[in-house]
Amino acid sequence: MNRKTLPYSVTFIILLPALLLLSFRLLQQHITVYLAGDSTMANKAVRAFPETGWGMPFNAFFDSTVTVKNIARNGQSTKSFIADGSWTSIANNLSAGDYVLIQFGHNDEVPSKANYTKPENFTANLARFVNETRAKNANPILITPVARRKFDSTGHIAGTHEAYSSLVRRLADSLHVPLIDLDRESQALFQRFGPEDSKYFFNYLTPGENPNYPDGKKDDTHFSELGARRIAEIVLADIKALKPELAERIVISNLKIK
Amino acid sequence: MKKILSRGLLTIGVLAGMAFIPPHKKIKVYMIGDSTMCNYPIRQWPVTGWGMPFANYFDSTVIIDNRARGGRSTRTFLSEDRWQPIADSLDAGDYVFIQFGHNDEAKEPQYADRYTPVPDYKTNLIKFITDTRAKNAVPVLVTPVSRRNFDKDGNAKETHTEYTKAVFEVGDQYHVAVIDLDKQSRQLYQQMGPVNAKLLFMELDSAEHPNYPVGRHDGTHFNEYGARKIAEIVLNDIKAQHLDLADRIVKGKNEAVVNPQAK
Repeated sequence: MNRKTLPYSVTFIILLPALLLLSFRLLQQHITVYLAGDSTMANKAVRAFPETGWGMPFNAFFDSTVTVKNIARNGQSTKSFIADGSWTSIANNLSAGDYVLIQFGHNDEVPSKANYTKPENFTANLARFVNETRAKNANPILITPVARRKFDSTGHIAGTHEAYSSLVRRLADSLHVPLIDLDRESQALFQRFGPEDSKYFFNYLTPGENPNYPDGKKDDTHFSELGARRIAEIVLADIKALKPELAERIVISNLKIK
Repeated sequence: MKKILSRGLLTIGVLAGMAFIPPHKKIKVYMIGDSTMCNYPIRQWPVTGWGMPFANYFDSTVIIDNRARGGRSTRTFLSEDRWQPIADSLDAGDYVFIQFGHNDEAKEPQYADRYTPVPDYKTNLIKFITDTRAKNAVPVLVTPVSRRNFDKDGNAKETHTEYTKAVFEVGDQYHVAVIDLDKQSRQLYQQMGPVNAKLLFMELDSAEHPNYPVGRHDGTHFNEYGARKIAEIVLNDIKAQHLDLADRIVKGKNEAVVNPQAK
């Protein structure tokens, strides 16, 4: 080996893993991750900012082989999601290898709401989403409804979705669907911050603070930008634990800010 | 016939109504400054310059053109020819929001490329002001947003003393509106306290966000939440100082009370 060829071989050895990685990336099929759910997940209109659904920051987590389509909308229950054609629009477009992240409950569980869904219908609707996703060789993931900010008088977080979260857990178990227990995990996050500081995660605005909410806002259901991102980060961590294939498409980055 | 008549009356009514509301001319608001103000691509989220949420709170007569760039001082913003194209395209009634200082004040040897002594800093601010006014546009000076720096007793410390003072001196001398973002941002940090104030900044555990695999601990750059809180300070000061621009800030209609039937 003479002195001239040495640098080339060294370069080749350095470049080989990079080339392999690149070709692997190029061979990876493009997939869509659908988000099916309610206002806690939905994209928001600018006039509703700073209210933020967790699907908005979730969009930033994946590499260019993934398109995140957030079909979640304010007010949706499993019943209305089917009735207005939202579900069919997902089912008809699903390709093999796609994902559907399913988070309902906030509107299903309230008997006084127009979109109320009885427990047995809630389970049946979720089962339909799971089965029709699998029929297209796509991957369903069930998510329990993200917690509301509710503390008891002793400063302990109080669950507000007990019945409907357990329906989701039970269905995930019986159909062997990957489950993200977001209700439990978000309760743990809010408990860690406590009754006062957990307000930073929600759309809490003092009167005159934000032009979109001249009289202020105290919302214990819908998130601020910070809360939405922290919730999305919980979902992402669980995806890493549950689904190594989707986790391979999480963006790889090493950034510097000037 | 009745239908045609009522339609005609309706049309006349609408036209008369429009005549009483003078439509605002479209204007541009240029933003010049550093990394605390600039736009960031999705690959760098959640870092957010305060100019990004700021742009969400104006009506359709306003275009926000955020030309701020990370690492720039007044000197390098000029030497890289970032200012002249703005000055050339300014129209009467446009605004220029000017916030520099973070990089001008960097005296450490590794930042010699951007350091700008106070007298030069003032000269550069004056150039932005006079060029803006030459086009009948409106300059607004913004003192550099504070860094998060608490002393051991939990008091938020001043981090830009000399350069903030210089902004006020130029503002006084040239009768330019000054938004004291340095002071008001520090008040926000103080109100939240040393621990919670971190929620405004790029404070990430490793593996929390894939864009920052080794995490980040940064008392200068904002996350999406901090950037919005800073933008709110600027928006409210525009109103408090009765700048004409205040009329173009959106007047939202969202209810304070959460309707239990909604969502």
